[in-house]
Amino acid sequence: MRYLFRLTAIWEAFRVATASLRSNKLRTALTLVGIVVGVAAVIAVVTIIKGLNQTVAQTFSSQGSTVFTISKNPQIIKSREDFIKFNRRKDVTHEDAEAITRLCTACWRVGIAANAIETVKYADQKAENVRIRGVDPTTMFDIDGVTISVGRIWTESEGAAGRDICVIGPDMLKNLFSDAPADRALGNEIRIDGRPYTIVGVLEPLGSIFGFSRDNVVYIPYSTYQRAYGGRRSLVTFIQVQTTEQLEAAEDQVRTIMRSRRHTAPEAEDEGFALETQDVFLNLYGSATSNIYIVTIGVAAISLVVGGIVVMNIMLVSVTERTKEIGIRKAIGARRKDILTQFLIEAVTVTAIGGAIGVATGFGLAYVISALIGFPLLVSVASAVLGVGVSSVVGIASGLWPAWRAARLDPIEALRAE
Amino acid sequence: MSDATLTLTPPESVTTPRVEVNGHDPRMLISMRNIWKTYQMGTEKVHALHGVSFDIPRGEYIAIIGPSGSGKSTLMNLIGCLDTPSEGEYWLNGKNVSEMDDDELARIRNQEVGFVFQTFNLLARATALHNVELPLIYGGVGASQRHEMAKKALQAVDLTERMTHKPNELSGGQRQRVAIARALVNHPSILLADEPTGALDSHTSMEIMDLFERLHSEGNTIIVVTHEHDIAIRAHRVISIRDGLIEKDERIK
Repeated sequence: MRYLFRLTAIWEAFRVATASLRSNKLRTALTLVGIVVGVAAVIAVVTIIKGLNQTVAQTFSSQGSTVFTISKNPQIIKSREDFIKFNRRKDVTHEDAEAITRLCTACWRVGIAANAIETVKYADQKAENVRIRGVDPTTMFDIDGVTISVGRIWTESEGAAGRDICVIGPDMLKNLFSDAPADRALGNEIRIDGRPYTIVGVLEPLGSIFGFSRDNVVYIPYSTYQRAYGGRRSLVTFIQVQTTEQLEAAEDQVRTIMRSRRHTAPEAEDEGFALETQDVFLNLYGSATSNIYIVTIGVAAISLVVGGIVVMNIMLVSVTERTKEIGIRKAIGARRKDILTQFLIEAVTVTAIGGAIGVATGFGLAYVISALIGFPLLVSVASAVLGVGVSSVVGIASGLWPAWRAARLDPIEALRAE
Repeated sequence: MSDATLTLTPPESVTTPRVEVNGHDPRMLISMRNIWKTYQMGTEKVHALHGVSFDIPRGEYIAIIGPSGSGKSTLMNLIGCLDTPSEGEYWLNGKNVSEMDDDELARIRNQEVGFVFQTFNLLARATALHNVELPLIYGGVGASQRHEMAKKALQAVDLTERMTHKPNELSGGQRQRVAIARALVNHPSILLADEPTGALDSHTSMEIMDLFERLHSEGNTIIVVTHEHDIAIRAHRVISIRDGLIEKDERIK
């Protein structure tokens, strides 16, 4: 009976709340803005970052967490002093890679790679900002996580001879061969920096990350690269292990090998080389996204507080406007808690509707942005529930005082109001 | 307290001998004993009622008449349990109401009192049916039973066809009948009407007063508070209030 009574009273309160919100549409809409903005911001950012996370995870897992690199300079240089220090280091050479191949027992695949950005031409077609990747041996294709779709990789002897041959990324088909089938490109000669290269293979597409295509690439043998771009440049040695459990052992071995090749003293300030895993990128990415999270949560908190104050203000106006109604309800038997419940439910209804609109807006925003940048849209039910839940809590917090004022009204005075 | 009882002049018309149990007459629906109501106006104390006592038995049709400022409204608020006396005891249907807190009073208003106001005081956004259901909602009556009771109450005031209309779609007389249905729906001990015809034309006023008469003949206890003599004489007993005191208490029918 008491339970039934509560349900009845709450349903009545909900009816009254929605009716009063409907009768003041413009006011309700303005009241909602703060809540909508706050919730939408959180939902959009959380959804976008979830999508990015998945893209990033997939991208790096194509190389896998089984790969690490040895290079002269680390990928991220944090200060000018570091830059100067790293530049004083010896170049990482082909001989270093060979020594690692020979001595590291925990290593599975070892390869070297160097990159240049060039314009690639075929007949009157041109592709710009193409990554020219000189690699050796051909297992670098496996380490990079790319596979041949049509044609073949060059043989080891072709590679060692420094033949002018290449394997192209799918973007080359699009940009140089007007999207012709891959087999039509085979055997044709493209020109990079004036030198001709014969196409022997075409790669499977990898797609893009953050709007940057990973298929805008041409692989050539490292010795060919060396002839074209000079052999004095430092290169990057890629080391892959078979399972992640072996990663640490391989890193230790490679570090020892490199230290002895660089004659690094145990107490030396600088090792003379950089050993990096993908963690470097993931850490950088993680700290970037956590900053975005903090800023967003700050913005959302401010707009929710402002939204809550607006709701409180509107609820106070509503209580004043409906003093007579409160008097009538009290005269016919509404107790303090009935009136309190009624106005609280009204406040929560406003903010929950605001929260729901915010969730929808946030997902919509995330959808547009994900479509523009090109990553998957991951709609999370938990964040939707959280969005509506938090805004309901804002409703309770901001509705409590106005509702309490309404509940305390003297019925005689309230009935006298117009 | 007993002094006040002794000094009371019983109305000539009330011929039943007085019985006192715990300071009130248990056979009476309403027992007011030496009721004072004092308001603090700045530094001054204003007495709206100075020791009013009377009894109303079940089934009576009574008018409380007095000019404005007589304390009539204050008395009505006390009878309707909207307020509590500063001093004295008020027994309603065997319960001492004078000591109750806000929520207990709300419960009594819900169960024992049916209000009819001069300006009807219906909820503008609710249909006639919903307005009539309102006391049942606060009384915790389930939906299906509530509909049935509300329909019956509207039937009793001849408004069956207008149930789904909102107040602004009804005439003044119809609105007052919705208000009467709302007052009656919970089968209260008293129907308490405050200037029930004050906002109505004379023809509609007569209809409403006829309705009160019929409701009285069906066994309801009716208290009409008014300053209009024409309305007061429709009742069977008239209590006249002046300057916070009972001036006259007479049976006229």
